[in-house]
Formats: sequence, structure tokens, C-alpha cells
Amino acid sequence: MKTKNAKVQTDEQIEEDIVLFDDDSEELVSFMRRIGPAVLQELEKNNRSHAFDGYRVSWQEEVDTVSRIHSLSHEKLNHELQVTGLSWNCTGAVIAVAYGRLDHENWCTHKSALCTWNIDRSSLNSSKPDTVIDLSSCLLCVACHPKQPSLIAGATFNGEVMVWDTSREDETLVATSGISDDTHREPVYKLQWVAATDSKKYNLVSVGGDGRILVWHMSSRKQTLKLVDGFILLTESLPRKERLTARRGDKEMAVTSLTFSPNDETTFLVGSDSGGIFKCSTKTKGTPASRDVQCSIPLQSPVTFSFASHKGPVYSVDFSHFHRNLFLSCSTDKSVRIYTVLQSEPVLTLEPGAEYLYSAKWSPVRPLLFAVGAHDGTLLIYDLRQNRATPTLRLDAGAKKEPVFSVEFSHAQPQLLATGDAAGNVAIWRLNSELTQQQNHEQEMLDELADVVHE
Amino acid sequence: MRNKYVATTEQTFGSGEEQNGIPIRSTLDNSTTVQYSGLITSLTSKARSVVRDLDPQNDLTFLRVRSKKHELMIAPEKDYTLIVVQNPSE
Repeated sequence: MKTKNAKVQTDEQIEEDIVLFDDDSEELVSFMRRIGPAVLQELEKNNRSHAFDGYRVSWQEEVDTVSRIHSLSHEKLNHELQVTGLSWNCTGAVIAVAYGRLDHENWCTHKSALCTWNIDRSSLNSSKPDTVIDLSSCLLCVACHPKQPSLIAGATFNGEVMVWDTSREDETLVATSGISDDTHREPVYKLQWVAATDSKKYNLVSVGGDGRILVWHMSSRKQTLKLVDGFILLTESLPRKERLTARRGDKEMAVTSLTFSPNDETTFLVGSDSGGIFKCSTKTKGTPASRDVQCSIPLQSPVTFSFASHKGPVYSVDFSHFHRNLFLSCSTDKSVRIYTVLQSEPVLTLEPGAEYLYSAKWSPVRPLLFAVGAHDGTLLIYDLRQNRATPTLRLDAGAKKEPVFSVEFSHAQPQLLATGDAAGNVAIWRLNSELTQQQNHEQEMLDELADVVHE
Repeated sequence: MRNKYVATTEQTFGSGEEQNGIPIRSTLDNSTTVQYSGLITSLTSKARSVVRDLDPQNDLTFLRVRSKKHELMIAPEKDYTLIVVQNPSE
């Protein structure tokens, strides 16, 4: 008899091998002979039946309105820092918030923090986080571990990547990259946990202003993040006419956004400071970095395909959860675009207004829905099923029209959406039923969108 | 309305009820098979006890479960259970 401890939510599931019961007896044969025709007849009948067409059960109470259920901020920071990143943990109860500033002109001398709120807790204090981890350099991104609820990764303006375990009582920092030739030497803009190809563990991938795309393996025993793989984005990947210095292609380009394919952990997309979006593969070993770049691992270009560029830095790229080829991007050129990885030109370009766009994310439950954070403090929700030209909803997410830098859907609780603004406020929104329940033929419409071909 | 007729993928497997839902044949992958056979065996015995508690002369003969994605057809017997997972054409 095997027993499992049901209270531990962080245990990894071990896949059991099954043993088919060996039975070739007469009884089985006669059972199948007897029951088979009747079942086949029912299956056939069922296939022709229209009895359940359009039949829906509403298990949950229908919610008509979208409402702001929490407004969170860390009072001690006095609204001086911006929300630079948001991440929900895997249970959907905790929101991790990265505080920092994106507008450094010089050395970073800010005292920043990583804060978490457990929104399911009845004693939630909206001006005081449950956990505060103080940092000496601005935190620019945060990513919760996809399986372990208490592990949170973050990275700073000076290039350090760190992992904390909020369940620890004393020292919460469990691993750090430190700062050396092998780390980022410039701001780290995005972080993502990615399943390692050969094991069930997750590696951490970070991208930064120095063009480096670094893959870290976490060793909590040694308290270090070990660099296991690395790439570099070079100007040669840009179409020739878009390069500033046409002659040289071996200069690094800042990487400002990252998304990995949910279907294939070797394929990822990066968006750059220059406006370029590139399809990359961890298996590609392209042009190496110039000799000035110092690193113990040879850094090479991972780019396999370049998409039509935005005209401003690309602050967000996001792979669709429902179509392996589609992805979303947004930029300060005021446009949000949907591309397929198969062609350079976008299949859909939307220009919601005259505002810079900082973050665009697909809904985890509705194939045709996405949310965008804008400079004028609005949160735009597009439902392509209803309208391809204008957003279905415009919400005032930023306090006093502060820019919305981050937008994050909760995958565990799809009715929740978090936004963070430039004054350090986090808003948690509860979406209505229409925005969280998949509609008829939505997947087909998404598939059609992906099939748009440009001449 | 349906838009097209799709040939269904019918996945069948039997499970020995006496052995408490140990699969005998299956066309599903391992972990799904184990899940289906375990969960449906207990659902079937619950359904059967409902029927018999209401009327001791009565008995469960067949069980169908309609879900958003599938229809489950469960043919129970003393020693064996046949479970079919059907994707009705959309």
C-alpha cells in the first residue's frame, strides 16, 4: 500500500507505470460480445444526436461587471517607486510585486523592494505587504516559480538575478547569480522560468540591456545560480536597412522582452530596444559575440527569424496559450500587434490611441482575449470575437492617470487580473463571466486569424 | 448547430471491477487510464448504491456522463466495466 502526504503542495508528482491486469478469460470475451454492440449502437446514436447542441450549464454565478477588488501599495515607499513587474504564484493566491524605477539616468541609488500580498487572506492589509524583501538596487522584474508557490525570482538594475523562498523564516535569499563576467552587466528586463529539456526541473532565463540571454540552473544547496547556457542578440539580426551603422553587425542589442513557447521549450521570442522582434532557438549557434564580450560560456546569436520591426522599444511579447504559432507584441510606437511565427508581417495591427504601450498579455482562458497596459493609465481589454478595431473595455487602472507598466492574468484564478502603475499602486481586477468563459467557435476563429497570409 | 461531422475517436478499455478498477485493456495513455479506471469505478459503485437504495429491486445497468468535452459511456457488470470516452462531433 502506498501512501502520499496530501498536505505537502510542493511535492512533485511521480508518474507511475501501470500494469495491465492480465485477463484473457472466456468471461471477458463474452462480456465484450454482449455489451459491445449495445455500446456501439449508443455511440453511433449519440454522434447523430443534437440533444446537447448549445446546451450550457452555469455552475458559477454569472458576474456582469468588471470590478477593482483590491488596490495595493507599499506605504513605506511613499509612491516614489514604480511597479516594474508583477507575477502571480502558482496557487493564484499570492501576487509578487517588483518595485523599482525604469527611468534611470545615472547610477541606481534607490532602495527598492520585492513585496508580496496574499489576496485570499482575510487580514489583507492593502498598504502593508505580507512580505517585504528590501534591496539596494532597483528590481526590474519578478517571476514566480511555476510549481513551487514560495519560490520567487527577481532581477535588478545592476544585473543581478536572485531567487527567494518566502516560506523561510530567517534568510529568504536562496540563490543569487552575484555579479561577474558571467552575469548581466546591465539592467535585467525580463525573467522567465522554463522547463529544462532533460529533467523535470525549471531553469531561469534572464534577458538584459547588454543583449545577453542567460540560462540559469538553480542550486539551492550552494546558494548559487549556475550559468548553464547563454546567447547574445546582435545587430546583424536586424534587417540591413534598419541598422544605424550598416557596416558592423556584431554590436549587442538590448533585449527588453521575452516569451517562451508553451509547446516547445527550445523556441522563444525576444523583443529589443531597437523595435526588432526575433524568433530564437536554444539549439541555434549563430554568429558569436565580438571579442570584447567576456563570458565563460561562448555567447552566440540564437536568432532564426526576424519579424517586421516596431518603431519603438518592444516592452512585451507573449505567446498565445491556444495557438502554437501566434504571439502578441506591444511597443512605444503605440501599436499592439499579433504575429504568427511563420511570416514577418503581423496578421493584425491595432492602434488603440496616442499612448505608449508597455504590456500586452493573452488571457489564459479565452483564446481571442488580451489585455494591454497604456501610458495614460488605462487598461485596454480586447475581445477580438466582438471587435477587431476597438477595445471592448477601457478601465482606469493607473491612479491619477499614471502609466500602467505591467499587466498580469492569474493562471490559477482566471477571473483575476493584476495591473501595476508608475506610482507604485497595484490593482487587482475581477473580470466578468463574459471575459472568462470561452465562447462558441472561439478556437476556430483564432485558427483562422493565424491563417491570414500576406502577399 | 453542428458545423461538420467529425469521425469520433473512441477509446475503449475494460477494467476488472473485482480488482477495484485495475485496467485490462486501454487505448489511452497510462496516467489517464489509471485516473479513469479508478475514478469511474468509484462513481459507478456510488451510482449503483443510489439506484438500489431508492428501490432494492432495481439495479444500475448503464451510466452516461455528459461533459463539456466528452461523453462517457459506462457499461458495468459484476466482474468487468467497459468505459468509452467519446468526443461527440462539435
